Amino acid sequence: MYRILVQKRILWILLLGIMPIQLASAQSDTYPLKGVIVDAEGIPIPGVNIIVQGTLSGAATGIDGDFSLEVSGKEVLVVSAIGYFTATIPISNRTELSIELQEDQQELGEVLVVGYGVQKKTDLTGAVSSVSKEFFEELPVASIDKALQGAIAGVQVTSTSGQPGSGVSIRIRGGASVQSGNEPLYVIDGFPVYNNSISAGVASGSNVNPMAGINPNDIETITVLKDASSTAIYGSRGANGVVIITTKNGRQGQAQVSYENSIGVQSVIKTLDLLDAQGFARVRNEALFEKNPALGTNQYLSETEISALGPGTDWQREAFRNAMVQDHQVNIQGGTDKIRYLVSGSYFNQEGVIKNTGFDRINFRSNLSADLSKKFSFGLNLNGSQSNSEIAPSGLVSALLLMPPTATIYEEDGSYTLRNPFENIISNPIASLNEQSNEAQTLRILANIFGEYELAKNLKLKVSIGTDLQNQKERSYIPSTLYEGITVNGQARLGTVSTQSWLNENTLNYRSSWGKHNFDGLAGFTQQELVSEGFSAGAQDFVTDELTFNNLGSGASALIPASNNFRWGLLSVLGRANYNFDQRYFLTASMRADGSSKFGANNKWGYFPSLAGAWNISKENFFQSLNSKISELKIRASYGETGNQEIGIFQSLSTLSAVRLLLGPNFQTGFTPDRIANNNLGWETTVQTDFGVDLGLFQNRIVFTADFYRKKTSDLLLNVQIPWTSGHSSSLQNYGSVVNRGLELSLATVNFEGDFNWNSQLNFSLNRNEVIKIGNGLDYILTGNFNGDFIIKVGEPLGSFYGASSAGILQEGQVETLGALTGKTNPRPGDRIFEDIDGDGVFSSAGDRKIVGNAQPDFIFGFNNSFSYKGFDLNFTIYGSIGNEILNGNSQVLELLNGQQNALALANDRWTSSNPDTDVSRASSDPRNIFYDRFVEDGSFVRLRNITFGYTLPSSWVESISLNSMRVFVSGQNLLTWTKYSGFDPEVTSVDNTITQGYDTGIYPAAKTVSAGLKVIF
Amino acid sequence: MKNHNKLLILLVGFTLSYSCVSLDEKPESNLTSNQFYRTSEDAVAAVNAIYHRMFTEWLVLFNRQLMMFEMATDDVVAGPRTRSTQVIDLSSLNHVPANTGVEWSWQYTYDAINRANIAIEKIPLIPETEINPELRNRLIAEARLLRAWNYFNLVRWFGAVPLVLKESTALTEESLNVTNASEEAIYSQILEDLQAAEGLPAPGSYSSNEVGRATLGTQKALMAKVHLTRQNWSEAASTLKELIDSDWYQLYDDFNKVFDPAFKNGPEHIFSIQFNGDPAVTNGVAWYSMPFEFNGEFVDAPNLGGGLYESFESGDKRKDRTLAKEITNPQTGLKVLLQNLTYVKYFDSATPFNQQQSRVNIPLLRYADVLLMYAEALNELNGPSAEAQEYLNRVRIRAGIPEIAQLGNSLSKDGFREYVFEERRKELALEYHRWFDLSRRGPDYYVSKLKSAGKSNAAPRHVKFPIPLRELQLNPNLSQSPDWAGF
Repeated sequence: MYRILVQKRILWILLLGIMPIQLASAQSDTYPLKGVIVDAEGIPIPGVNIIVQGTLSGAATGIDGDFSLEVSGKEVLVVSAIGYFTATIPISNRTELSIELQEDQQELGEVLVVGYGVQKKTDLTGAVSSVSKEFFEELPVASIDKALQGAIAGVQVTSTSGQPGSGVSIRIRGGASVQSGNEPLYVIDGFPVYNNSISAGVASGSNVNPMAGINPNDIETITVLKDASSTAIYGSRGANGVVIITTKNGRQGQAQVSYENSIGVQSVIKTLDLLDAQGFARVRNEALFEKNPALGTNQYLSETEISALGPGTDWQREAFRNAMVQDHQVNIQGGTDKIRYLVSGSYFNQEGVIKNTGFDRINFRSNLSADLSKKFSFGLNLNGSQSNSEIAPSGLVSALLLMPPTATIYEEDGSYTLRNPFENIISNPIASLNEQSNEAQTLRILANIFGEYELAKNLKLKVSIGTDLQNQKERSYIPSTLYEGITVNGQARLGTVSTQSWLNENTLNYRSSWGKHNFDGLAGFTQQELVSEGFSAGAQDFVTDELTFNNLGSGASALIPASNNFRWGLLSVLGRANYNFDQRYFLTASMRADGSSKFGANNKWGYFPSLAGAWNISKENFFQSLNSKISELKIRASYGETGNQEIGIFQSLSTLSAVRLLLGPNFQTGFTPDRIANNNLGWETTVQTDFGVDLGLFQNRIVFTADFYRKKTSDLLLNVQIPWTSGHSSSLQNYGSVVNRGLELSLATVNFEGDFNWNSQLNFSLNRNEVIKIGNGLDYILTGNFNGDFIIKVGEPLGSFYGASSAGILQEGQVETLGALTGKTNPRPGDRIFEDIDGDGVFSSAGDRKIVGNAQPDFIFGFNNSFSYKGFDLNFTIYGSIGNEILNGNSQVLELLNGQQNALALANDRWTSSNPDTDVSRASSDPRNIFYDRFVEDGSFVRLRNITFGYTLPSSWVESISLNSMRVFVSGQNLLTWTKYSGFDPEVTSVDNTITQGYDTGIYPAAKTVSAGLKVIF
Repeated sequence: MKNHNKLLILLVGFTLSYSCVSLDEKPESNLTSNQFYRTSEDAVAAVNAIYHRMFTEWLVLFNRQLMMFEMATDDVVAGPRTRSTQVIDLSSLNHVPANTGVEWSWQYTYDAINRANIAIEKIPLIPETEINPELRNRLIAEARLLRAWNYFNLVRWFGAVPLVLKESTALTEESLNVTNASEEAIYSQILEDLQAAEGLPAPGSYSSNEVGRATLGTQKALMAKVHLTRQNWSEAASTLKELIDSDWYQLYDDFNKVFDPAFKNGPEHIFSIQFNGDPAVTNGVAWYSMPFEFNGEFVDAPNLGGGLYESFESGDKRKDRTLAKEITNPQTGLKVLLQNLTYVKYFDSATPFNQQQSRVNIPLLRYADVLLMYAEALNELNGPSAEAQEYLNRVRIRAGIPEIAQLGNSLSKDGFREYVFEERRKELALEYHRWFDLSRRGPDYYVSKLKSAGKSNAAPRHVKFPIPLRELQLNPNLSQSPDWAGF
């Protein structure tokens, strides 16, 4: 139960507006009246409005709840404050007054920020949830999106990489789009931010998460809009749900300075159990023998040499480390009745658990709001951040796993070993980590100014202008001492990408009540534009590695520079009406029209309506007798359309691409069309129906919410396959549909109240996804990897794995009968055999594959408990994902046993003629890298995501050292994980891609963290 | 109140004064089709795009993709570390209409055809003030030659395929769902296009930076190949005679010079894929045929059962530049013994461990091929005449092996034909001729050759490749060739 200052201000202005305007007649005999206004417990209330009835004159209480006013003694005072019943008090010639205001429980009810406004939770007709502060306060994370995990039913949050500062994948009510974006829209202080990862194409590895430019500690509230009734106001960007973030602002009162810090240490959750040098040497011997038996069984090393080997190089241990994470923040906030401000500065530094990787950020924020007069107010939200990422180059984690333990980091002469000494080319990953530069530096400024004016009674105009500037520089240097750099003799590249987005929003707000009818309406016009420019250049063949990327001119040969430039624009008209009768019957209707430059000439404008209703049964007269037990019972229903326009630019046009070719010694340029123009290209449309129940028991000590939804996304932005005879292979068209259906349950309980407090929140969600139609006569599309290990198939969910199915190991004497099912030209005992799905007696990838798993969970849940006793508090969150499967791509290559790269330790149990009873195939220099069901694993997990134990020092003690308050805490993230998954961590997925989700290959492993911190208010 | 009114005016004024965001898309870093094809530079770029699709890009058509079809011959097999099932399946003749390699060849060829169609359609529309007529005619001729070459490949690979002669600009079913044309119709279009390319400049007319463009020599060599494939022996012979009599071309004295970067684009080369060692270009066949010992992929491996290596007569100078069991490491001067017999035609000793950057051009049409074609055509017309023998002998003599008569066998027409084909096999190994040579001899010949080379899956249908399954699924108007129905 926390109130929101932004909205408080608006209501405050609103209340002023309701005051009847009438000029008072002049008074002659006046005297000063002094008064104090307190609440039911006698505590003074600052900021209370006191108006002399029928006039415009009045006063407001100061910090001690006191006021003074020149009066004649005959007037009547109207005393009002947010959250309290308005009192009307005749002065009756008194000179001093003490007025007690009664709290208005209704008014105090939780207020949520929704699209273009705020709404009391009890008035909601849609599915909107707020995130409790427990989920994001004091968490040592780089970006707020990571903190949403487990907080809200229907929201699935998965880290895409353990690389500090890298991305997070969020699915609100399942992924619907096959090839377009699936991430929600973020709205920060009213500004819909461009949240796609930007890349200059120079740094390799995980992309920098754009949300990492916002300091989580600056955030006051997060609300998530899930159903169409709440998201349709965001029109063509609402289909994936909307996350609304409001940052902190000052409060009326004395200036408050606070300092917070936390320092922690992170370590990798798990390492993989791989072969040691002896085990590897034996696998290599066998693989070589199998290939060329004439040369004997010990072609690599003799048994004597093998037993003399130590454990060899543990490449994982060489790369992983205990890594520091620290966070420091200073806040200054305060305000008067006219001006409120908050200024904050923070520094965040997270080392990666892989050495020489990490992320740091400096962030400043200034939020200001001021009331120039009773009718006019304005404000500014300004956020600036600069972050630096040192990124693990792509392929690094795979290289750590595959490098043979018999290889060494250094040669005998002290120089780096260049690469795996065997056939498979893997460059020395430790040398890459130590010597290669691969970094990104991001500057992000988000600024928004707004003014609000009351045009007439109850009618307000708000105008805001904002900008979102992002500038990312990327730098890379591959020195000549590395394998990757040796042929080119050092390669340096620099790149920059900058995006500038500006937004203008103009909204009119009307609010009125007559009798039991309550109405508020919104109408608006907005325009947003984004311009992006990118540039990169590079050189190679350097005399020295000393200068790295700092002097491209010293490279003997230049790489072709690249640049690009694009813009998109969005024009919107929006409106919404909320009506309720007596707080019993609620109706909401909204509509947005979006015109987007991304779409075809014939299809620029889309219209996104929604309608919702709710019935608060507990307010009915016939229900009053039950109110002592059932404090709230509301049923809701909503229906609406939203869109998704997350496609690249120019997709409707037949743009031309430059190609380079040789017709002699030097390059020449050609131009060729990228696609056939599609003037009809439009957005994806999601039609969503939602039914919900809100139930509160025993004065809302138990609050239960259930929502059932069905989302049908059609006109999918799909690269529809077209015959190649056209010269093109696909065309982005609106084609096909996907359905998501689901159930969300959440339960919040106050288990104990008093000295000992215990609150719990439990949420549970399940989502079922089904592909209904994908295109032109096709009923499936294979995608990913060499042979397409993923399938999009009508009737099946997205995220399905497509592979062969193991039928065991070929045994001695079966070569003639079953050998063809190995898929090898020369099958031998010990080879894997596959199920003969098409029954032709021979294994082929075309006929003998099927769906062997799916990455979508059966259900996910979050369970949060917070306890407090005197100054102690304990808070923990458990998050679980059950029934999802993972394609363990790491195991797939680590079970090849080709003797050219390392393998899992279970290779010690491989098939040999003396160990035929096993499920691990033999060592072979010529294995077929086939994806089959063995590498699909149960990815279910339950994890203690966060646990924080804190102590707030007694105020008597704190005040004795001149502080206002002080709190110390220790916390841990990912300390316990229960899973059967054999890989690094079951929380894996690919960025913004619903098709290849749950694919674990070479992903930077996740870390667990233990940290401690303190918060002091001066 | 006054102040407030002023502020109000300011606010509203600000809102209204802001110009509206435009919803038109104006790509500033990209061109669109309707902005282009207006100047001579645009015209050159449009034709360049065809060359690009056919020759330059890695994994595409002549720079690697055609190699997948050499897998379906007696001379090449997928090496032990081949990861792509489409290559393995082609090598063992287990390929089906869904084979990715078959699909890519179809896809890239039609892409190249579309680019050619654009050039053929748009270049004539460029105003006379923007382009000189000579350049215009040459560019159109190049585009028509390249289109013919692509259709020639298609008809040989797949038989009756759709004949698309206009740029595809509409996404309608009528426009996209094209139907099979007869082989006759395709061949007559090929000949029409080749005849229209007669205005190409003679070899030697281009500047050194454009030396890789098609010439009149390319046109004649291709025309001859089309006639030869169609068994129009007299047309083939007369076209070849014109080419030989033109004196544009001659054999190098040393076979090694054909594959020596120092002698690239020389008198023997009629048309080659160009490589310059730049990291931006990958020499696909060089990299994929090199052994592990030199960081190669060793996918394009010799088929040991085919006996190509053994078929070189003693003293044949071509043998070591074609296949090797050891390679001298130019950095150390030491011979590296290879695990496997390896194709070394495209090995560039300047970058021994990085054959992706081999500078060796891949010759697609060269004079030795012309001489052997002429010998074949003459034999078909008049039997193994002295003249026919002479042209075969010129290739043999250069290789350092005896003239055909000195082998002491009495020469029949059929026997001579076999000699020519064996000579083509040795001379032109790994230059993308073998599959075409085998398939044009017909199913019986193909099957017997492959079976005796140990590829027991060979069947008559393999003289063509199947039309890709994807195309049949997407396009109801397209039908599979009869031999492949049911596979």
